Amino acid sequence: MSDNTIIQQGAFTSAGTTETLILRSDVDWMKIYNMTTIVGATQWDGVEHYWQRDMAVGDGLVWYHALGSQALSLSSCVVGFNGAVYPGFYPITHDGMNLGAPIAVTAGTNAVLPVYSTANTALLAAGAIVRVYNSAHTNLGGLDFSVDTIVANTSFRLANALATAPGVVAGAAGFWRYVAPDVGTYNLFTPSRRVIANITAANPAVVTTLVDHAYTLGQQVRMQVPAACGMTQMSGLTGTVIAVTASTFSLNIDATGFTAFAFPLPAAVPFTPAEVIPIGETPWAPQQLGGLSTGDATDNQGYIGMVLGSSGAVSGSPVGVANDVIYWVAGKSFNV
Amino acid sequence: MDNPTEVTRADVDEIVRTLLNNNAYTIMDNIEGEDKFGTAPVRDAYFALCSTQLTGNLDGVAGFIHKNQYPAPMNALRSEWGAIGNLRFLVSSIGSVNAAASNLGANVYNIFCVGMEAYACIEQDGYSASFIYRPPIYDGPLALNCSVGYKFAEVPRITNDLWVVNLRTTLA
Repeated sequence: MSDNTIIQQGAFTSAGTTETLILRSDVDWMKIYNMTTIVGATQWDGVEHYWQRDMAVGDGLVWYHALGSQALSLSSCVVGFNGAVYPGFYPITHDGMNLGAPIAVTAGTNAVLPVYSTANTALLAAGAIVRVYNSAHTNLGGLDFSVDTIVANTSFRLANALATAPGVVAGAAGFWRYVAPDVGTYNLFTPSRRVIANITAANPAVVTTLVDHAYTLGQQVRMQVPAACGMTQMSGLTGTVIAVTASTFSLNIDATGFTAFAFPLPAAVPFTPAEVIPIGETPWAPQQLGGLSTGDATDNQGYIGMVLGSSGAVSGSPVGVANDVIYWVAGKSFNV
Repeated sequence: MDNPTEVTRADVDEIVRTLLNNNAYTIMDNIEGEDKFGTAPVRDAYFALCSTQLTGNLDGVAGFIHKNQYPAPMNALRSEWGAIGNLRFLVSSIGSVNAAASNLGANVYNIFCVGMEAYACIEQDGYSASFIYRPPIYDGPLALNCSVGYKFAEVPRITNDLWVVNLRTTLA
């Protein structure tokens, strides 16, 4: 490959956490140069990373200082070095981010904010979205969740409180998969439907979603609440979003006196989860924008890009450690 | 047990009931029964749009009528697989699928069941789409590479969300 296939390049100073690069078009390869560790000679520092299309999600090649010298050795991120593996490259394509590889879950708590134990938290950072499945929490299996509290290579916690705890403690079975680094990548089209974690029987009704919703004031939504979730009086109602936080929104619906909302227990499986579905268009946008609407689900928020993995305080992943100066270059190839 | 499960006749009946309760019109007229061996009349129907991966499962659903069992198979669409109750299934290799999204980590297939005029496509500038091919001699001074692109000025719209129901299923 020659350098005239380069389509984009850039640089950033690492925060020591996962970095998302938004690219102007699809790429077939990417190189990362860590200018800080390249000039150093610290043993086990990664200095250059390379990704090419068709490599496994999270993989990549890594040149590193195997000794305390300028000499370099080569490995891959999933094979690793110095007894550890390192999150590598996670491409985001036109149809979203590819699912991460399954990672074992060793336990899950029975709480409205379940905590899952895992020996590998990979790319997770607060605000990321995960999918848990095949665990004893069968009522949560296959659903997506925002996460907030991550203890590196130990555990992560679901960020948005369920109406009721899962009902059982999950043992050493099941897997989790990395879905997206943030809601922007997750959504593609916005606003998107969301599975409901809780609805308050109050005026106004406050809805909590499993994944942060990114709805805006004035958004019209329709509620779908199956019998397994209790608050069937809410099902089919449409409402307007009158207040928002990242994980909740208030509707102009008086739910006082409605049956309490409950998140179905494992005994209810299989069931259809309660959902909120955006409908119509943001009411004032058509007038303000000369007939154009920016508030409905035909607005594609997705982007093509690359998520660069972080290994925290260890310099084995593409972003290195905090304050490392990173240069990158990405390109296309005719030979794919 | 997985969640969701494979498609069943009860699922189809619930979808049809939901669309009927929401006052959705069926899209296709019924196909009248005829005195032909192995055929059966086909009800007036909503469309169900899904992945080709589901064809085997559809065959096994109670009451499934393959399109070659229609009294007038020429009335079937090219992409049609068959009918169950008041749903006629159109299959596509790019039908919607969510990877590893079931309770057991299986792929979840979305079957979009729609009534008449549930959605529309609005063409903006008097044309729908252009596929543009520029041969090498027009694409660069050295005539090394060709290019291909497309542009379109159209907007798909759901006109009534009550007339679109997503039936989520796994494979049996």
